[in-house]
Amino acid sequence: MNTMKWLVKREFWEHKGGFFWTPLVVGSIIALGTAASAITGLVMKSKHGMNINGQQVTNLSGVIEPEQHAQIVNAISQGYIAAAAPLFMVMAVVIFFFCLGTLFDERKDRSVLFWKSLPVSDGETVLSKLAMALVAAPLITLAFGIITSILVLLIAVISGATTGLNLAGVFANPATYLAPFKILAVLPVYLVWALPTAGWLMMVSAWARTKVFLWAVGVPLLTAGLLAWFDAMFDFNWDIEWFFKNIVLRGLLSLVPGAWFGFVDPPGGMHIDDNHSFDFTVLVVQSWKTLAYAHAWIGAAVGAGMIYAATRLRRWKDEG
Amino acid sequence: MSAVISARNLSKRYGKSVAVDNISFEIPAGRIIGLIGPNGSGKTTTLKAALGLIPFEGELKVLGLDPRTHRDELMENVCFIADVAVLPRWIRVSEAVDFVAGVHPKFDRKKAERYLANTKLKPSMKVKEMSKGMIVQLHLALVMAIDAKLLVLDEPTLGLDILYRKQFYQNLLEDYFDEEKTIIVTTHQVEEIEHILTDLMFIREGRITLSASMDEISERFVEVMVPAENVTAAKALNPIDERQVFGKSVMLFDGVPRAQVAALGETRNVGVADLFVAKMKGTYA
Repeated sequence: MNTMKWLVKREFWEHKGGFFWTPLVVGSIIALGTAASAITGLVMKSKHGMNINGQQVTNLSGVIEPEQHAQIVNAISQGYIAAAAPLFMVMAVVIFFFCLGTLFDERKDRSVLFWKSLPVSDGETVLSKLAMALVAAPLITLAFGIITSILVLLIAVISGATTGLNLAGVFANPATYLAPFKILAVLPVYLVWALPTAGWLMMVSAWARTKVFLWAVGVPLLTAGLLAWFDAMFDFNWDIEWFFKNIVLRGLLSLVPGAWFGFVDPPGGMHIDDNHSFDFTVLVVQSWKTLAYAHAWIGAAVGAGMIYAATRLRRWKDEG
Repeated sequence: MSAVISARNLSKRYGKSVAVDNISFEIPAGRIIGLIGPNGSGKTTTLKAALGLIPFEGELKVLGLDPRTHRDELMENVCFIADVAVLPRWIRVSEAVDFVAGVHPKFDRKKAERYLANTKLKPSMKVKEMSKGMIVQLHLALVMAIDAKLLVLDEPTLGLDILYRKQFYQNLLEDYFDEEKTIIVTTHQVEEIEHILTDLMFIREGRITLSASMDEISERFVEVMVPAENVTAAKALNPIDERQVFGKSVMLFDGVPRAQVAALGETRNVGVADLFVAKMKGTYA
């Protein structure tokens, strides 16, 4: 009896559109778009040739220095996984609306009465929804992201070959194979940082009778607006900017991957290395460093508290 | 055998209005109880309290457990259909069966599939593609395959046509009910279920106005067709209800010996519906 497995599965069945078809479609668009531009490039080249540093060339072999070539290969090996970035941005939007709707919709269509007729606790149910949002969804997105990135990589290698640029070296570069694991390594950081937003949305979802979006987004914005107005009226000298950033934005935008760099700035920074390529190892290291800040854990604790509140609300809310 | 449900001084208030007013009752095992009352009488609230869906005052034990603190445990042995068509609209028949099989230790998948095979439901069908009657069939298939001790049905057939309604109760009686199980059912279609009930409970304005077994009811209550010449004599026995049918008075007596009323006219057992109307007189006045 693996209740949690079935609960997460059930969330996936219900939200297959957001968690499966959306990344599939976005990934396909990226891959097809890349293929289309590669083909366009080839057509343009065959018509007009290429212009590199003022020289008219039709073939890149011999034009590029070996050292430059190695740099290009390395940059692609390190960076090709960035093709998955749009999928993660879309994922943030999907998770946002999932969390906002999940405990509200089941009350609205009264299906909560069916779910509650089964021997599944409210705690398990709410945790399964959280697991869908912050564990399963990123893993699914990562899977589609890897496939998309590999397709983009293959297109790059093939179109490189047609211009005489041999990029087959990327397959011998360990960085190519490590790239997906680097993204995987960031997911625990995501889980910690995303908790307050997921918690806030799910709490409102469990509480609001109607207009769940207005409550979840309107209340924090209105509060910030009112505080700013009071501050201006009565000269309280409040730090409104701090409130807006660390409460309102932190509460609403923490589902965006990488948002943590907007709240804390670990030493080291996201520099581009000497080979002019962005190394995702830096992203992993810098991301993990953000967990050394109290900011991350205070947010996570507040998020956990709101998850607990959502559980209690689901347990006792009587719709009459 | 201890009681399946025992309530003592059970109350539930919504603000100032009292939905359930200090009621006490016991429901033994192996019964089919009809909980009958007008709209807003507190039926659903009582059931919700027993199912651990709402907080309440007083003492209430279901299968020996407090539904407020032991709800998760309780739900392994209690099953309910609260209202029609609460199955999620997106779910497929196969998914519903898989899910319940996955989370319910007492679910017999074969039984559910056997039952579904007798309906027009296909495994790939989604709830949103089904008629209300089909949704209830699916729900019943899931519920009947669960070997629970207590089944609570709150208006399970509301809005269904007579074919679905008959079939629903027939299945319940033939394939589900046994002396180990207890079924509590509320419905407005009293006439349709009276032959399957073993016990009757009337509830009005949050209070229980009648609680008896069907045998007790046929002993206690008797309806008499009183010819005009006997009306005065009959009225002296304090009938609880009187109506006119084809110029004759039909009077309902509570606790008057049969031999005594038989002298006044033709007697017969009272239907639950007529008894209900008599007991609930003035509810909406």
